[in-house]
Amino acid sequence: MNPGAGALGQVIAGATTRGRGIEMGMQFGVFSVGDVTPDPTTGRTPTEAERIKAMVAIALKTEEVGMDVFATGEHHNPPFVPSSPTTMLGYIAARTTRLQLSTATTLITTNDPVKIAEDYAMLQHLSDGRVDLMLGRGNTGPVYPWFGKDIRDGIPLAVENYALLRRLWREDVVDWEGRHRTPLQGFTATPRPLDGVPPFVWHASIRSPEIAEQAAFYGDGFFHNNIFWDAGHVRRMVSLYRRRFEHYGHGPADQAIVGLGGQVFMRKNSQDAVREFRPYFDNAPVYGHGPSLEDFSELTALTVGSPQQVIDKTLTFREMAGDYQRQLFLMDHAGLPLKTVLEQLDVLGEEVIPVLREEFAARTPAHVPDAPTHESLKAAQEKVSA
Amino acid sequence: MTSRRIAVVSAGIGVPSSTRLLADRLAAATTAALAEHGVTAEVEVVELREHAHELVDAVLTGFVAPGLRPVVDAVTGADGLIAVTPTFSASYNGLFKLLFDALEDGVLDGKPTLIGATGGTGRHSLALEHAVRPLMAYLHAVVVPTAVFAAPEDWAGGAAGVPALDRRIARAAGELADLVVGRPAAAAADPFESPVPFEQLLRGE
Repeated sequence: MNPGAGALGQVIAGATTRGRGIEMGMQFGVFSVGDVTPDPTTGRTPTEAERIKAMVAIALKTEEVGMDVFATGEHHNPPFVPSSPTTMLGYIAARTTRLQLSTATTLITTNDPVKIAEDYAMLQHLSDGRVDLMLGRGNTGPVYPWFGKDIRDGIPLAVENYALLRRLWREDVVDWEGRHRTPLQGFTATPRPLDGVPPFVWHASIRSPEIAEQAAFYGDGFFHNNIFWDAGHVRRMVSLYRRRFEHYGHGPADQAIVGLGGQVFMRKNSQDAVREFRPYFDNAPVYGHGPSLEDFSELTALTVGSPQQVIDKTLTFREMAGDYQRQLFLMDHAGLPLKTVLEQLDVLGEEVIPVLREEFAARTPAHVPDAPTHESLKAAQEKVSA
Repeated sequence: MTSRRIAVVSAGIGVPSSTRLLADRLAAATTAALAEHGVTAEVEVVELREHAHELVDAVLTGFVAPGLRPVVDAVTGADGLIAVTPTFSASYNGLFKLLFDALEDGVLDGKPTLIGATGGTGRHSLALEHAVRPLMAYLHAVVVPTAVFAAPEDWAGGAAGVPALDRRIARAAGELADLVVGRPAAAAADPFESPVPFEQLLRGE
C-alpha cells in the first residue's frame, strides 16, 4: 500500500490552479540562516539580542515591501541564534497580517515529531493558518547526540519521524511504534491542526536523492536552497523530484511543487554592488576563502549587481528547474549590517519583485498550480468531504 | 577489438615532472599489456596541477565545479586507474589527496588501480605501501600488488640489487591489464537516475 496516495486528493486538489479563484502566483520571500557573523568591514559582531531582533525586523520588512514569505533557520549551536523557530514565528505572526511563516529548515531528525506536530499546530492557530514548514536534516554531526540521536541515522530518522508527524496531524488518536523514539499509545497531539488541515510541508535537501524521493512519495513540496551548490546539481535534484512525483501518482511532473533559494546583493551600479559585497563574500561562512565571487556567481544562484541583473538571473531559475512556486532570497548572511539588509529589501520590494511577479506570471502555463496555502488546502478538504 | 578506458592521474608539481614521466611510462606499458589481450586502451591523462584551485574550491564548497567535472568523470568512469604522486613529507602530496577527497563515496569501489610515486631518495619507496595503498584500500579500489616507486637513480641505471624500473613498470602494468580485462569496473549506479524507492526507505532498508 502506498500511504502517499491517501493524501493525493487533498494535496493536489489543494493546489490552486492559476487563472481560477484568487490569483496569487509565485510566492516570494526571505529565508535566514540566523548566523551571528562579524561584519568583516568593521570587525563588529552583533550580540545575540541584536541578531534576534534583526531577524524579526527583516521579517516585518518582508511583509512591508510586499513579499509573501519569511522562513527562519533552526540551529542549536553558535554562531547561530534561531533555536526556537515557533517562538520567533509566533512573535512575528502577532506583528504581521499577511506574511506566510515558514522555516528553513525545521530539523526532522533531532526534533521529536510529537513536539513538531504540537508546536506548529499551535502556530497555525495563533497565525490563522499562515504556516508551512520546510523540513531538513541539519548537517552538523555533534548536534545529533545533543538530542540523543546519531548522524548516521540521518535519513532513517527523517523517514520515520516524518511518517509519524503526518499521522499525528491527520489522526486524532495515534498508536505508534518505531525504531527512533518511545512508542505511543492512544496519543492525541494538541492542539489539533487548524480546521483539521495540517500545514503544508516542503522537504529540503541540498544533495540527498532520498529526500527528493520522500517529497515525491507524499506529493509534498521540494525546496532546494540553490545557493551553496551549482546549478547543474540543483537541476538534477529537482528533476528527480518531479519525475518521482509523477511516478507516485500525484500528477504530471510539471505540476510538482518546487521552491528555490537565491542570494542577492544590489546597488544601482553593479560595480558598486560588487565592491561593497566582496568583503562579505570573501569571508562568508560556507563559501568564503574559496571560489571567487565572480566564479561563484556564475556557478550558483548568487547575484551581486544591479536590480535588473537580479531579475534576469532569477528568471533563469525557471529554465533550470521548470515552473516553480516559491522563490526565497538569502539577504542577511555573512555579517551584513541590518541597515544594509533593510535597504536591500526595499530595493527588492520596489524594483525586483513586481517585475518578477509579472514576468513569471506571463511565462507560467495555466495548469501549473500555486503553492498550497491553508486556505487552498481547507477548500480542497471541504470539497472532498462535501 | 574491444577497448577499455584508463585514467591516469599525475599529482606532479614541476614542468617537466618526473611524476608525469612515470605516469606516462605506466600508461604506455598498460596500453601494451592490454594490447596483448586484444584490448585497445583509451588513455586519459589528468594533470592535477591544472585543477589545483578547483580542487580546493571543491573541498571548501562541497561541490565539483564544471571545470573539474571532466576530471572526476574520467576517474570515476574509467575501467582502470593509474595514480601517481610525488613523495612529500614521506607521503602523497596534498594535491593528490584533494582529488580523492573531492570524489563521491563509493565511486572507486572495485576499481582496478595501479599506484606509483616518485621521490628524492629510494628510502621513501615505502610511502607507497604505508600511505598510498591504505588510502586506496579505504576507497575500496583494487590495487595491484606491484607498486612502482621511481627514485633519482632509477632514471639512470638503477641501484644494485633492485630490478630495473622498466621491468617493475612492465610487471605492474601487466597486473593492471589482467585485472582490467578480467573484471571491468562496473559503472557506478546514479542515485539521481535510479533512486532507492521510498517504500524501501520506509521499511528501514
